[in-house]
Amino acid sequence: MTEAVSADKMRRAAPAGQLIDHERSFIFTFDGKPVTAHPGDTIGSALARAGVQILSRSFKYHRPRGLRCCAGHCPNCLVQVGDEPNVRACLRAAQQDMVVEAQNAWPSLRRDALSLTALGDRFLPVGFYYKTFIRPRALWPAYEWVLRHAAGLGRVNADTAPATYDKQYLHADVAVVGGGPAGLSAALAAAQQGARVLLFDENGELGGHTRYKEIDRTAFGRDWGLEINDMQSPIPNLDIYTNTTVLGYYPHNYLAAVRGNRLFKIRAASVVVATGAYEQPLLFANNDLPGIMLGSGVQRLLHLYGVLPGSTAVVVTVNDDGWQVAHDLWRAGATVSAVVDLRSAAPTSQAAAFKEALEGAGARVFLDSTIVAAAGKGAVQEAIIAARGVRGGPTDGGSTRLPCDLIAVSGGWAAANELLYEAGAQIAYHESQGEFLPHALPPGIYAAGRVTGSHSLQSQIKEGREAGSAAAAYCATGKVQENFAHAGERREESAPSVEQDAHHSAIVTDGNGYENVRQGKRFVCFCEDVTDKDVRTAIAEGYRSIELLKRYSTISMGPCQGKMCSVNAILLCAHANGWSVAETGTTTARPPAKPVSLGVLAGQQMEPVKVTPVHDWHRQHGARMMVAGIWLRPEHYGDPTAEVQAVRQRVGLIDVSTLGKFRLTGPDAPQLLERLYVNRWQKLSPGRVRYGLMCNDEGVVLDDGVTACLEPQEYYMTTTSSGAEAVYEWIQWWAQSGWGDGVHVTPVSDVYAAFNLAGPQSRAVLSRLTPDDLSNDHFPYMHVRQMQIAGVPCRVLRIGFTGELSYEIHCPAGYGQFLWEALLEAGADHGISPFGVEAQRILRLEKAHIIVGQDTDALSDPFAAGLAWAVKLDKPAFLGRRSLARVSEQGPALRLAGFKMENGAPPPAEGLQIVQPEGDGALQIIGHVTSSRYSPTLQEAIGLCWLPAAMVVDGQPFTIRLDDGRLVQARVHEGAFYDPKGEKLRT
Amino acid sequence: MLILDCPNCGARNTQEFRYGGEYNPRPAEPDAADDAAWSSYLYMRHNRLGLQKEWWYHRAGCGLWFLAERDTGSDKVSRTYFWSREQIP
Repeated sequence: MTEAVSADKMRRAAPAGQLIDHERSFIFTFDGKPVTAHPGDTIGSALARAGVQILSRSFKYHRPRGLRCCAGHCPNCLVQVGDEPNVRACLRAAQQDMVVEAQNAWPSLRRDALSLTALGDRFLPVGFYYKTFIRPRALWPAYEWVLRHAAGLGRVNADTAPATYDKQYLHADVAVVGGGPAGLSAALAAAQQGARVLLFDENGELGGHTRYKEIDRTAFGRDWGLEINDMQSPIPNLDIYTNTTVLGYYPHNYLAAVRGNRLFKIRAASVVVATGAYEQPLLFANNDLPGIMLGSGVQRLLHLYGVLPGSTAVVVTVNDDGWQVAHDLWRAGATVSAVVDLRSAAPTSQAAAFKEALEGAGARVFLDSTIVAAAGKGAVQEAIIAARGVRGGPTDGGSTRLPCDLIAVSGGWAAANELLYEAGAQIAYHESQGEFLPHALPPGIYAAGRVTGSHSLQSQIKEGREAGSAAAAYCATGKVQENFAHAGERREESAPSVEQDAHHSAIVTDGNGYENVRQGKRFVCFCEDVTDKDVRTAIAEGYRSIELLKRYSTISMGPCQGKMCSVNAILLCAHANGWSVAETGTTTARPPAKPVSLGVLAGQQMEPVKVTPVHDWHRQHGARMMVAGIWLRPEHYGDPTAEVQAVRQRVGLIDVSTLGKFRLTGPDAPQLLERLYVNRWQKLSPGRVRYGLMCNDEGVVLDDGVTACLEPQEYYMTTTSSGAEAVYEWIQWWAQSGWGDGVHVTPVSDVYAAFNLAGPQSRAVLSRLTPDDLSNDHFPYMHVRQMQIAGVPCRVLRIGFTGELSYEIHCPAGYGQFLWEALLEAGADHGISPFGVEAQRILRLEKAHIIVGQDTDALSDPFAAGLAWAVKLDKPAFLGRRSLARVSEQGPALRLAGFKMENGAPPPAEGLQIVQPEGDGALQIIGHVTSSRYSPTLQEAIGLCWLPAAMVVDGQPFTIRLDDGRLVQARVHEGAFYDPKGEKLRT
Repeated sequence: MLILDCPNCGARNTQEFRYGGEYNPRPAEPDAADDAAWSSYLYMRHNRLGLQKEWWYHRAGCGLWFLAERDTGSDKVSRTYFWSREQIP
């Protein structure tokens, strides 16, 4: 039988196919075998023409799957193209030498090893994620191996060269999504009113369903717009984007769309959604066999690509569309052995003429009948037909087995309403049409065509024109026209139509009374292999709500995102619960409405960083650069240990231009400082510098830094490098909401370069470049001086994060590199060394100075962080006072403490847990390591950690758990590890 | 993405702004607030569905902190305005 069918197919002349250039052809490969294609072919159409029926294996049961919708809606044709997985073969244009491979199939598409899971599907029941592969726990490694090999679709090649992705911003008065009759009409109507219009369509040409359906165009005159394909963009204020898929609607009429590797971000004053509808499959046993297609999928293959997907067809329909499909097949040369109409009455109007022609050609007609099952090995070979019974299911009577190699299913339409949902439209189930249709739209959102339930060309065009016109008027006036009513609003409720009744019955009947042909699964969801039995089981297990049902069964969570299964799942859920469809409701639609590659969302590989004025010098002198917050900074210049030793023994120079810097001026500057910092400022006299600790009202440490008083009403505040921006926003928030009187805050972070000259010989180096008196008496610790250094006007702060005598030199950024080089030159005789962030981290850790954000977190208060000395609870009204007063009474539960490793152990990784064995041998987590380094000065591993306050006693031992499970010992060290009295800073 | 009317700069995309949370004025006399009132100010938010008064900061613009009244359900922003002393409860 199969042989004969194939031979028969070969004899027939190919239909034309409007997109295909039959004169030329080329070759690509599918699973290593050559396939001939013509310009205009998609991968899928070329494979169909070549007679390849199996394109993929299904996700869970590895069942063979073939072309179904030919519109990118279903998951059946996902293939691997070169390094790119999950390409929809029915949409992707075939190209010469393209390497196409099947996914989810091993060792081959025809003989897939994992299809054995069909035998063992008791291991993969609905909700198997929550049930199986859990116990016994010891078997998890084995389970994991199996699951990792079974999971996922396609293959990612980590070595693939990154592609170029980019973004483009578009602006319009009216954005129209969908270029079918309704969308085209809307775009033209809006453009004619002078609006700037953007029209998007995911296909290569406009026209929507009229591209693949024979339609009497002349009935509507020339101006309705299908000819726009030939118009070469004649309208200056209408831009057409074909091959462009709109992914989502975001607030205030913001659309995301993708074309190839480009992401469009579109802002429009109003949006017309004319996205059409998805044809729906029906439920019957083995409804996933290759050779079972949607009626519209058959028509696309026939009319667009000139491919006749079968030679002997059975057409199953719930509406008049199926009759046209059958007629198209017959005209293209196929034998239509039967048309099965679930409706009881013979079709009227145009479909009646199709029926007459088909019957004349020998097609059998089954009215009030349904398809019970399909049969076949690897592809469909038989359709099993029966009369519908009382409940819409098959009767107990006999069935008819019809040999065929194609079953075309016209199961009705589901509105493509994702964008309308996302836009906040009110959408309800219309019993009369069996569709979820909009009945109220937000201002500026319009809908037209099939998405509103209009299935006649005339009404689609009319609605499109009205919507486009109203959208243009909305842009011009900002008002919704008072007398404008959307098609959805105008639609009146009436009794269920026969089409709706037919579709509903095909979904909710369970085949009872037809045991002998129920062999086979009835798939609701083709992406995740969910059957109607699974849905009923999930509901029986208590997952009655449609949202829970979705999450538990994973129905509608696969690549098609519900386009093929959402409506049918809702119908099943309603039926099983005894609810109405309205009571059942829908799941929430979220972007993206269509699949999108992560590369498109990621965009260009651009990560902007700031560089300091000395950046070029660093690069030229062997610095290894690291990203620190938004900055690119030298991590080290080759040997951080040597850099530490240079600072401790001689002198070093580090670029700290990244510090946040602010100028505060005005009579109330001290008052603002008092409120922002936990320590005291009123008595800071000109020429003095003070460490400042900033908390929020919870008493949590936000930032620290030093602030210098330059003049009685002028302060120079510095913050951490990473906190600069947040601190500025924080200060602005308070200053702009009542605390800003009498003070100006000017951000000058990028205005000044800053370097720290640190080490016992720093004074000697600096004195070579300035005539000023640098003696300890004249310029002591925690003071600020304005001076000329190498002729450059500088502000010098005598402070020391490193623990050595040091000078933090701030100069105008333009002099930065000159001064940096001058300092290094002056220090050459002293053995000066530039040092980077890594050496500074070691140096500060030796002093047990904290880094806010590394050693503290969102729960750290100054008392816990060992900074109680900075908190002046006796001063009034500062941020954090109210909470800190309470904390100071209770005392912290955890404290930040220094530690040294025991037994010469290396420094433990930062973030490791500190544990305490409990009675039963289990380990209780009692703290964690925040900083750790090997100290070249002490020649042992040191660090900072959080511990229970009671344990923070000098010499207290504790245990750190390493990543590999080993336990290592450490001891608490109170105070600085190096120069605990801070004498070197003050010399 | 929302469009916000910065009182200084006019209508701009929200990616230029930082959201500052519900308008949650600090008690004028923190020390006078009992623990319940203080912790309510620190931690409790209304998370309204409907019209909400909230802070926005024009980070990539003029640097203004301003107030907006936004319907959290529809994202319709009915009003944006400068802070003023009248906002203090």
